Amino acid sequence: MSQIMPSARQRKTRTLLFWAVPAVLLLLPLTTNPYTQFIANGMLVSVLVTLGFTLTIGNLGQLAFANTAFFGIGAYSSAILAAKLGVPWLLTIPLAGAFGALGGFLASAAALRGIRTYYLAIITLAFGELMRWAYLHAKPLTGGTDGMPMPRETLLGISLTDDTLKFYIFLAVTVLLVKATLNLMRSHFGRAVMAVRENEIATASLAIPTARVILVTFMWSGFVVGCAGALFARHVGHVFPESFGMLHLIASFAMVLVGGLGSVLGAVLGAVLLTALPEYLRAFPGMEELFFGLIVAGVLVAMPMGLASLLRRVSPIFVERFYREAP
Amino acid sequence: MLMQLTLGGLSQGMIYALIALSLTVVYRSTTVVNFGHGDFVMAGAFLSYVLVVLAGVAFLPAAALAMIAMFVLGVMFNRGLIRPIRGGPHIGLALMCIAAGYLLRGIARMVWGREVLPMPPVFDMAPIFVGDLVITGDAVFIIGTVLVLLLLFFGLMALTDLGKMVQAVYQSPRGARLIGLNVDRFNDFSWGVGAALGALGGILVAPVSLLHPDLGASFLIKGFAAMTLGGFGSLGGAVLGGVLLGIAEQYAGAYLDTALIEITAYVVIVAVLFIRPQGLFGRKAVVKV
Amino acid sequence: MSTLLTVEGLSVRFSGLTALDDVSFTLEDGNVRAVIGPNGAGKSTLFNAISGYVTPTAGTVHLRGQELTRLTPHEIAEQGIRRTFQNGGLFPALTVLENVLTGLHAQTHGSFLDILLGRSKALKSEADNIHRARELLKLMSMDHMADTRAGDLSGGQQRIVEIVRTVASDPPVLLLDEPAVGLSPVARAQMMEIIHRLAGEKGVGILLIEHAVELVMAAADRILVMAAGARIAEGTPEEIREDRAVLEAYLGHS
Repeated sequence: MSQIMPSARQRKTRTLLFWAVPAVLLLLPLTTNPYTQFIANGMLVSVLVTLGFTLTIGNLGQLAFANTAFFGIGAYSSAILAAKLGVPWLLTIPLAGAFGALGGFLASAAALRGIRTYYLAIITLAFGELMRWAYLHAKPLTGGTDGMPMPRETLLGISLTDDTLKFYIFLAVTVLLVKATLNLMRSHFGRAVMAVRENEIATASLAIPTARVILVTFMWSGFVVGCAGALFARHVGHVFPESFGMLHLIASFAMVLVGGLGSVLGAVLGAVLLTALPEYLRAFPGMEELFFGLIVAGVLVAMPMGLASLLRRVSPIFVERFYREAP
Repeated sequence: MLMQLTLGGLSQGMIYALIALSLTVVYRSTTVVNFGHGDFVMAGAFLSYVLVVLAGVAFLPAAALAMIAMFVLGVMFNRGLIRPIRGGPHIGLALMCIAAGYLLRGIARMVWGREVLPMPPVFDMAPIFVGDLVITGDAVFIIGTVLVLLLLFFGLMALTDLGKMVQAVYQSPRGARLIGLNVDRFNDFSWGVGAALGALGGILVAPVSLLHPDLGASFLIKGFAAMTLGGFGSLGGAVLGGVLLGIAEQYAGAYLDTALIEITAYVVIVAVLFIRPQGLFGRKAVVKV
Repeated sequence: MSTLLTVEGLSVRFSGLTALDDVSFTLEDGNVRAVIGPNGAGKSTLFNAISGYVTPTAGTVHLRGQELTRLTPHEIAEQGIRRTFQNGGLFPALTVLENVLTGLHAQTHGSFLDILLGRSKALKSEADNIHRARELLKLMSMDHMADTRAGDLSGGQQRIVEIVRTVASDPPVLLLDEPAVGLSPVARAQMMEIIHRLAGEKGVGILLIEHAVELVMAAADRILVMAAGARIAEGTPEEIREDRAVLEAYLGHS
């Protein structure tokens, strides 16, 4: 199938669409009840988690499962910075991102040692579980099984427990990071990331520093997911080790797959669709696992390219790669 | 003290060996690493619990029934979910295995709820005392069963064409097809054997530990650690890796800190892959970058 | 005419096996030098050693007097030696234009922050590259395929796109690993035409591995004959045609 690129006019429509979505969302808190607002906040967190994940497993094509580790690192560093050092929470967001990027650096170190495919999957799984062990056992810092409550804080006179205030902050962070990631993936760097996935050896022959491409992709993925961790800490108000276990991993997989591997738009769609439903399933033991298991298996067999590819067929507006030619 | 720890480690390590071996059986003959294998182990424990406690079947027939059921499940999983996506990228295969694991876990939790269930002891035998050493019935039973099974397994591999078939399919599925081997059926068989052997691991731990739907996750990691230590893809390495891991856990727990038991496996994975990626017996695991 | 590439005493040994044994030669601008020899003669190892994919155990590689011997593949490519791959090195999921653009990666300006923020500096540089990539495709009459997935092209088209991608950055030296293998006679003739033009009009120094003897005789200025990792003959096509050692070692029957 040929790839049809959007025309100049369609690209303008797309830019308009991109900014229209958050603009409309600004009105959301006026029309919802507190519970829906809480779910909407959770969706924004999921969008960032899925976005970071799809970069490494979709765009870069590496079987790396360290996403849950980045998320936990982000959440705990935000909680620790806020609770133990009194750093204002807003400021902990980029700092949590930086710690997440450090996690990304460690994961890429494995990939750059030549540990790939199943070995990379296994070592990154071990990384995630080691982090969870650390949250459980570094009691003075993390509170162990009791977890860590986020400190009370106000912003502009409003308590940071207020879901509407959180929504606006989450929305701003999410839009910024989605936009930056889109810029990155549509640039020559994003092209190099896909080139590494397609043929790493040939990529190096084009004067592309493949090791740096892998390193930077993992670190950016860690940064985005680390920021998501900081949002999550505020979202639930209390950080527990269990939040960063295997269930979180499969939920992220499902979101990435439903949207379509390696698609920014897909990450957003998958996260939005799959955040709300499990909230309602949580009351029934086992349903969450069954739900995500069925979704992943079903998508793999029936729709391996995800929703984003369906949309792409509807209109070239949804093709994510494009060339910014001089006007 | 040292002897007691070694015995405890050996008994635990036999379980890991069994799980690593069953993972390797599937990997060697289908090149798929079953990331849902922990839940197959859990399902074995779960089925034997249901049969023994809820249906009142005696332990041994219950174990046999559970293994047969898991064999069938393994075959069905391969036919229904793995085969349709075989040609695709390995990411898809890994995710499919995880999804299958979650389905099993979901079913177990629907039945079990959030409870942690004890299974009545089966090997009610008075412990044997050899000097300071206490040998429990559990240890005898676990080590004995796995030893018999290993003898049977490696004996079959050595004395029949099975070993050659595994090797042929591993190196070139097309070549194996050319010499008249039914690769599809062979893959079914390997998935069945892998699932049944993994389930046996669960059946053996069921009477000596608390059962809950999430018990598979840690066994998956232990299985991986054993495989990595022994050399990914080596059948004998998987067994030896499992035994060594079990013993290492006990030593680390006793001489360093009990909290370390849980992470010995993770540390082994990270250390082996960074320092000696081919493990003890395996082929090189890293690619040149 | 000036010397671009100087290879001196290049050797590669893998655990006791000598894959490349003390090979020396030079390559001048505008020249096409073919490397021929039977399978296992060390031709591909020679390419891999020059382009940094295999570390030579002895010997040196210089480009215009600058030593490149132990640099990494991407550093060597950046210095100006670019190569193609025997089995095709295109990125199948990327479009033709995107493939060519990857060849211009090092020519793109703008820091990581510029890219993240979508600053005009990064965009301008990208737009310049797109302009250049389109022109190159037009030159090869491939511009109508620009938005096609590379994986959907025919074998011959893929080879041409790979060459366009490889020369996009105007490298002084080009290593072509069997560019005509598997091509139809028409596509083959087109490929030879492209090689002639690159050397003749742009003055690129081309090192060429090729099996088709008649093709090599027509295209090459000089020929290097290898067997068992070592150089057994060197000269113009006419000289090689007459060389008894070559006839025996390589052409065998004739």
